Amino acid sequence: MKALILVGGFGTRLRPLTLSVPKPLVEFANKPMILHQIEALKAVGVTEVVLAINYQPEVMLNFLKEFEAKLGIMITCSQETEPLGTAGPLALARDKLIDGSGEPFFVLNSDVISEYPFKEMIEFHKAHGGEASIMVTKVDEPSKYGVVVMEESTGQVDKFVEKPKLFVGNKINAGIYLLNPSVLDRIELRPTSIEKEVFPKIAAEKKLYAMVLPGFWMDIGQPRDYITGLRLYLDSLRKKASTKLSTGPHIVGNVLVHESAKIGEGCLIGPDVAIGPGCVVEAGVRLSRCTVMRGVRIKKHACISSSIIGWHSTVGQWARVENMTILGEDVHVGDEIYSNGGVVLPHKEIKSSILKPEIVM
Amino acid sequence: MESSEEKVVAVIMVGGPTKGTRFRPLSFNTPKPLFPLAGQPMVQHPISACKRIPNLVQIFLIGFHEERDFALYVSSISNELKMPVRYLKEDKPHGSAGGLYYFRNIIMEDNPSHIFLLNCDVCCSFPLTDMLEAHKRYGGMGTVLVIKVSAESANQFGELVADPITKELLHYTEKPETFVSDLINCGVYIFTPHILTAIQEVSMHREGQGHIAANIRHLSSFETLQSPTRALPLDFVRLDQDILSPFAGKKQLYTYETMDFWEQIKTPGMALKCSGLYLAQFRFTSSHLLAGGDGTKSASIVGDVFVHPSAKVHPTAKIGPNVSISANVRVGAGVRLISCIILDDVEVQENAVVINSIVGWKSSIGKWSRVQADGDYNAKLGITILGEAVIVEDEVVVINSIVLPNKTLNLSVQDEIIL
Repeated sequence: MKALILVGGFGTRLRPLTLSVPKPLVEFANKPMILHQIEALKAVGVTEVVLAINYQPEVMLNFLKEFEAKLGIMITCSQETEPLGTAGPLALARDKLIDGSGEPFFVLNSDVISEYPFKEMIEFHKAHGGEASIMVTKVDEPSKYGVVVMEESTGQVDKFVEKPKLFVGNKINAGIYLLNPSVLDRIELRPTSIEKEVFPKIAAEKKLYAMVLPGFWMDIGQPRDYITGLRLYLDSLRKKASTKLSTGPHIVGNVLVHESAKIGEGCLIGPDVAIGPGCVVEAGVRLSRCTVMRGVRIKKHACISSSIIGWHSTVGQWARVENMTILGEDVHVGDEIYSNGGVVLPHKEIKSSILKPEIVM
Repeated sequence: MESSEEKVVAVIMVGGPTKGTRFRPLSFNTPKPLFPLAGQPMVQHPISACKRIPNLVQIFLIGFHEERDFALYVSSISNELKMPVRYLKEDKPHGSAGGLYYFRNIIMEDNPSHIFLLNCDVCCSFPLTDMLEAHKRYGGMGTVLVIKVSAESANQFGELVADPITKELLHYTEKPETFVSDLINCGVYIFTPHILTAIQEVSMHREGQGHIAANIRHLSSFETLQSPTRALPLDFVRLDQDILSPFAGKKQLYTYETMDFWEQIKTPGMALKCSGLYLAQFRFTSSHLLAGGDGTKSASIVGDVFVHPSAKVHPTAKIGPNVSISANVRVGAGVRLISCIILDDVEVQENAVVINSIVGWKSSIGKWSRVQADGDYNAKLGITILGEAVIVEDEVVVINSIVLPNKTLNLSVQDEIIL
């Protein structure tokens, strides 16, 4: 079985992290974002994953060789020379997705984190016999998104309404699709939107069905949602009684600590924290609702919450870092410094406090 | 007496990528020394000035940027000037004097009698020939180019005290807290080869101090406070603190004052200002480089403007003053450009207006859109900067903002940094 992951472009919403690393390779819960999806696809028998990209193919290709071998799955790239939207890349990768077997293929939006119930989706798709299945997820504020209006019992999709002013439903497109090869005949090789041009046509023919995504869902393409997403992800690990979560007197709530990270005495870590490989957390540090990337050193008595600390950065003694502070790669926050929502580009030293949210270039 | 055997070389310090985040976002796409001012890479201005020195045989660029970043440029400028220009890459930063010492064998290859040392990110008229004559008259080891500035701004620089008659450098201090002098270091120097011995002495002295320290078991914290230089590696030697300061007042160093313009190019705002200064200078030294036009067959040109030969500018556009248009740019009908740098491959569509801005490579400025700023070259958001491949859609207004590469603006913004 095949799958296409829409990786797209420059990941500008996740800057400054994506100034150092292409977005699919930015780690989430200590694993590159795209690896979460590839592993879940492999688990349901997908043998080839095509990445639709238009940026930095060399970096991606190196990474892929490593994981092809480790995972035993074929990973190829389909590179857009101009942005093709959300449907165009499917046409571009047509030859890779159709193998004559008639089997449907998955299409995923690369920013989406969820439990990936791919097995249930395959069964759902077979059962309704339609041309395309999409996952939808329930949200509190549907008018921020595109709402999928569907018949509750069968899941048959009636129409899509973009950012509706009045309530028409609370299910939105979760960015996970299972499509028959015939869908490719509907897509031309030009910039095309799958939600605006392709799906409405299939829905009109009553061949599009939506399945409500069980479990959590998050689009982690921007820092605020990345942090919320980590909480949901770790929570789902807890529900599965995963042994990956840390335990101990210095741990509160759900915490993921890489085995090569070191944590000092008198720390309090959690809830909703991920600490990456090679990190050093010195004594007396408080961490909550944050991600600490590979190779970071947090010095004594520092306090970090609701932030992301980029690779190989350091946070000084008694520093306080909070409120959506995002440190890029190799950023060094001095001792006793306070950062309230500082967004700091790579290779910087912060020697004076950031009192209100600010971008530091 | 000028011996025809006397050869002169020039060394231009170009720095490296980890220093100077102040030039972002433009430095994401190009090393600062290669950023164009008045249509020529920044480093080309001091290079051209050096070329005018009689008996100059080689120009060296020293820095720690990757070699491949400079390979194309040095080869093409060497050909163009018919003079060897070489890029020497330091394996790590050695400081402004340490770099000179590190490559001493190569620099002394032709046995030069004098060595010019210039900082690449200095914008001035480079009166090098007059400065060399003055240096020979003084007969010292080195001569420093200096300029008078306002007393309030002097403490951002290295301040020098000079004897008003002999011009000897009597005292030097870097960024002092209290007022010392309104004469500052321009970052342009001439040395005799004795400078290399002086740098070696500094390293050896530091090593000696280190040996003494190693012999004392417990260094008191007071002593470690007293000698911060002991923490520096032996081969990291700064020209200012380690050479100028100790050698001041010993009849070794002299000063030469310039009365022309001088600026440091540390930020994109200053790059725009200095591009204007160089365009104004072209009016006197190379007026053939400047554009002309009156709106009939070609666009109206106001003031000093550079247009690359491959750029296409519609005749109904009005350009200038202080505009520099790079290669393959297309400027549409009815466009107004004032005080801006338009980088390679940009498309400026019909009736758009760009004022006090730098528009990055391959960007697109939509019809009737407006990209502008106050023009305060020193303020953080004083000029508007669009990074590489930024799209400003039709009729959108961008004011006093910085936009990182690959963004599309479909809504107007003001006073913002867009990541």
